[in-house]
Amino acid sequence: MTRVTDESTFRRRRFIAGALGLGAIGAFSGLRYGGGVSVAEETQPQQVASADSSMLVLQESGERLTTKYAATHYNNAYEFGWDKTDPYQKSGAFELKPWQVTFDGLCAQPGTFDLDDLMGMPFSHLEERIYDFRCVEAWSMVIPYNGRPLGDILKVVEPLGSARYVSFTSVLRPEQMPGQASAFSTLDWPYVEALTIEEAMHPLTFATFGVYGDQVLPQNGMPFRITVPWKYGFKSPKFVVRVTFTETRPDATWHIENPREYGWYSNVYPDISHPRWSQATERRIWNEGDIERIPSRLYNGYAEEVAHLYPGDRQQYR
Amino acid sequence: MIRALVHLALAAPLCVLGLAWQRHALGVDPQKALILESGIWTFNLLMLVLLLPIGARWAGWPQLLRYRRAAGLWVFTYATAHFIFFLSFYLGWDFARLAEEIAERPYVLLGFAAWLVLMLLAATSTRQAMRWLGRNWKRLHAGVYFALAFAVVHYLLMIRSEWAWPVSYAAIALVLLTLRLRRMRLPQN
Repeated sequence: MTRVTDESTFRRRRFIAGALGLGAIGAFSGLRYGGGVSVAEETQPQQVASADSSMLVLQESGERLTTKYAATHYNNAYEFGWDKTDPYQKSGAFELKPWQVTFDGLCAQPGTFDLDDLMGMPFSHLEERIYDFRCVEAWSMVIPYNGRPLGDILKVVEPLGSARYVSFTSVLRPEQMPGQASAFSTLDWPYVEALTIEEAMHPLTFATFGVYGDQVLPQNGMPFRITVPWKYGFKSPKFVVRVTFTETRPDATWHIENPREYGWYSNVYPDISHPRWSQATERRIWNEGDIERIPSRLYNGYAEEVAHLYPGDRQQYR
Repeated sequence: MIRALVHLALAAPLCVLGLAWQRHALGVDPQKALILESGIWTFNLLMLVLLLPIGARWAGWPQLLRYRRAAGLWVFTYATAHFIFFLSFYLGWDFARLAEEIAERPYVLLGFAAWLVLMLLAATSTRQAMRWLGRNWKRLHAGVYFALAFAVVHYLLMIRSEWAWPVSYAAIALVLLTLRLRRMRLPQN
C-alpha cells in the first residue's frame, strides 16, 4: 500500500537508485523478475474519497493525478483518427489479444515474445510509476503507468555493441484502426518511432502494459507502449509489435512528416520555440474541463536524470 | 420580425457553444473545443456573407441583401470570440506573448490580420461612415476578400496530417474569389 507513495516521490528523483538495482535480474532469469524486487503490491492509485470525485489525489503524498476519465477520453492516436475523441470512440473493434512483440536487428537473442513473457509477472504485480505526460501540443497530464523498465527487457535479447539505436514499430491493422484507412491522412503507416540505445536503456524509459491499473485501453496505446517521459508524447509509441536494434538512425513517423516541427529527439525544451506551439507553458489537464496553465520544465521536469545524455548545444536535440 | 429571426439564426451557433460549455458538454478539453468551433463558425459565416449577393441573385430574392451588414457584424463577433478564447486559454492574457506569437508564427499573424480587417470593416459599417467614405466605402469593404484569403491560409497552416476540412474550405473560398474577380473584369452594368 505504501508503494504508490514511494513511487510518487520516486517520480521526480529516485528512479535511478530504484531501477538500476533491477538490472542484473533480467539477465539470469530471462524475462522474469526474481522475487519481490520493486513489485508494486497494489496497482490502483489510492484515491482520497473526498466529496469532490473530480479530484484524484494520492493519499499519502497529496500529489494530484489526472482523472482516469480525462486520460482515457482525450488522446492522440491517429491510428483511430485525428480527433482527440476518436481513440476511445473508434477503438471498439481493436483486438488486444493475442499480442506478440518481435525483437530483431543487432541483438544476440532475437525472438518473438508473448505479452505475458514481456511482463514477466502478473499484471497486478508490475511496478506503478507516476509520470508527467507532455504532449507537443502543449497540454499535459499526470498519469500512473503500469510496467517495467524497458532496459530490463532489452537486456534479455542482448543488444550487440554495434547497436546504437532502437526502433519501434506499431501494429498495422487498417481494418481495426479507421485512421490507418483514412484517405485524407498524409501519415505513413505503420507508425514508427526510435530512440538512441542510451535513451532506450535509461531507467526512466518504461515498457508500459497499462495505465491506472487497466490493461484494456487501446486509446492509451495498450496492450504495449513505450513511455519516455522527458520527450513530447509522440516519442512514446503505442501498440508496439516490433523492436529493432540498428546501427544507423531509424526514421520516425512525425519526423518524416515534418522535420521542422517534429525533431528526431523531441526533448521537452520550453525555451526552444516550436513553429506551431510555444512550448513555454502547458495546459495541465486534471479532469474534464479542469485545466490549469503552468510553466513547462526542461526535459519535462526530468533534467536531473537525463540531461547528461545530451552534451553540447541543446538545439541539436530538439 | 424577419430581422430578429436573422439575428437569432446567426447568433445560434455561438449560443449553442456557450450553452454546451456551461453544461460541460464540450468534452475533456472545452478550451480547445471553443477555439476550434468559434474559428470554424467565423469561417462559415464569412462565406455566408460572401454568398449572399450570389444567393440573392439566384433566388431572385434581393431582400436578402438587406441582412448583409447584420451578417458581417456577426462574422466580426465570432472572430472576436475566437481571438478572445485564444488569448485567454493559450496565452493567459499575456500581451507580450501575443506579440511573440504574431512575430514567430505565421498562422497567428494571419489570423490576427484577418481579425484586424474585420474590425476595420465593422467599425466603418454605419450609415454615417458610408456617407463619409463615399465611393471609397465599397473599395474598403472589398477588403473582406483579404480577410477570407488570410483565413484560408490560417486554416491551411493548421494541417498536420488530415487535410480534408481545411482543403475543402480553401476550395470553396477559391470559388468565391474567382467569382468576385470575374465580376470585377466584366463591364459594370
